[in-house]
Amino acid sequence: MSSAWREHADSGGSPAPPAGRSAPGGLSQGRAHFQQQLQRLEAHALGGLDLILEQLDRVLEALSHQDVELAQMVIADDDRVDGRYLEVHQGILSLLALQAPVAGDLRLVAALLHMIKHIERMGDQCVNIAKMIPLSGHEPPVRREVLEALARMGACARSEVTQAKAAFAGRAVDLAEDLVRQDREINRLNREIFRMAIEIGDDPDTREWAMHMILVARALERIGDNAVDIGEQVAFVVTGLFREFSDSSHPSDTGLARSPGSE
Amino acid sequence: MADGIQVKQLNAWFGATQIIRDIDLAIAPVSITAIIGPSGCGKSTFVRCLNRMHEVVPGARVSGTVLLDSEDLYGPGADPVQIRRRVGMVFQKPNPFPTMSVFDNVAAGLRLTMRGRSQGSKAELRAKVEAALRSAGLWDEVADRLGEPGAGLSGGQQQRLCIARSLAVNPEVILMDEPCSALDPIATLKIEELIDQLKRRVTIVIVTHNMQQAARVADRTAFMLDGRLIEVGATQEIFTTPGDPRTEEYVTGKFG
Repeated sequence: MSSAWREHADSGGSPAPPAGRSAPGGLSQGRAHFQQQLQRLEAHALGGLDLILEQLDRVLEALSHQDVELAQMVIADDDRVDGRYLEVHQGILSLLALQAPVAGDLRLVAALLHMIKHIERMGDQCVNIAKMIPLSGHEPPVRREVLEALARMGACARSEVTQAKAAFAGRAVDLAEDLVRQDREINRLNREIFRMAIEIGDDPDTREWAMHMILVARALERIGDNAVDIGEQVAFVVTGLFREFSDSSHPSDTGLARSPGSE
Repeated sequence: MADGIQVKQLNAWFGATQIIRDIDLAIAPVSITAIIGPSGCGKSTFVRCLNRMHEVVPGARVSGTVLLDSEDLYGPGADPVQIRRRVGMVFQKPNPFPTMSVFDNVAAGLRLTMRGRSQGSKAELRAKVEAALRSAGLWDEVADRLGEPGAGLSGGQQQRLCIARSLAVNPEVILMDEPCSALDPIATLKIEELIDQLKRRVTIVIVTHNMQQAARVADRTAFMLDGRLIEVGATQEIFTTPGDPRTEEYVTGKFG
């Protein structure tokens, strides 16, 4: 089981995380092995974001061309994302049980556990979008402006996923915080599509299609939120503080807080 | 014990070699403080300065202040024997008096402090020995072998016997220098449980190489390197978000 993610570790194509600071006594052998395991686990988890990019590209393609077969492939391939989740989850449990990581290593392991859960959720949102596509039939009464807005949302979601990955791999808090700025655009488009759907006219078929597109927009908006959540984990790994970048229940709050349970 | 232990500008030497450098540390009463750090960083020497055990080595020297409940252990007129009664010590290797029975091991310290008092104290002595053995979690295992040699007990039992011997004279502080490093995991667990119970009545300073042990038992953890105190904080902080990069490197095993 644990060897599975090692075999796949290099296929993610992600850059290796920054190497640890050079230490006075040099790496001891046992911990060097642990550091390699941890790096492989991170690469495997980050590779999960590449799977999301593939799923996202295909489901957006299927949406724009009403390609029911491609949508079906997206649904089937969610097993790969779920499999990645299970492998990383198992790898994390093994590291916790066998290596008892502490300090920065512990924060990284905890963040990986959050990240892989967000990846799994993003995969599910791609499936949710794919499931909408056959519901409208082969010649749905599409409105070009709605599809264009969805395509812009899709491009934003893609960009956020890419940036979340780069921010995590590079431990770049500023890049992670910038996700909030990008996410505002997705949220704005989501509201815009909602408004378009309301004003779409009296034809029942068109209104039904528009309802489906609201759900598609909602799924894309959630993918953006998950990317922001991954960004928050970057800040946690680097600073040891957990804070929500944007908190809709306390909009004026800066969100700066000590991690729960710390003294 | 209202003030616990206050260490101020503590320095210690073996001959010309300085082992401890400018340590300031406040240890709260009835708490557990773990001292961690690589071999040779001075952590054992540091705790031995807390009950004037360091100076018993020829050529050893100490400067600075150690206040135990506001009383300077290195002040003029401070009595090392009296101090060692108030600040007990448990060592890496269990060291019961080999020729003495289990009972006499625990009673030894008491007999010294009760010396000169009436012989009517025999029942009192017995009660105190039993209380100490109970506190050390050993009574149920040795109640029917009090007359047997202490050296006949298992390693873990011997270590708890040594803790009972320390507890018998009702110390304010117990220093533990790697008390579990010679014990198996089950015996280690028993000592750790015992430490947790004792912290309600006594201040404990424990030197350990086992960082998981520090994480499990200590309220606060202090990290030493090259004779200096690098960082001290709540144990949870030290093991999740240490403030100093050297602490981070040590606890994550990047050197040591």
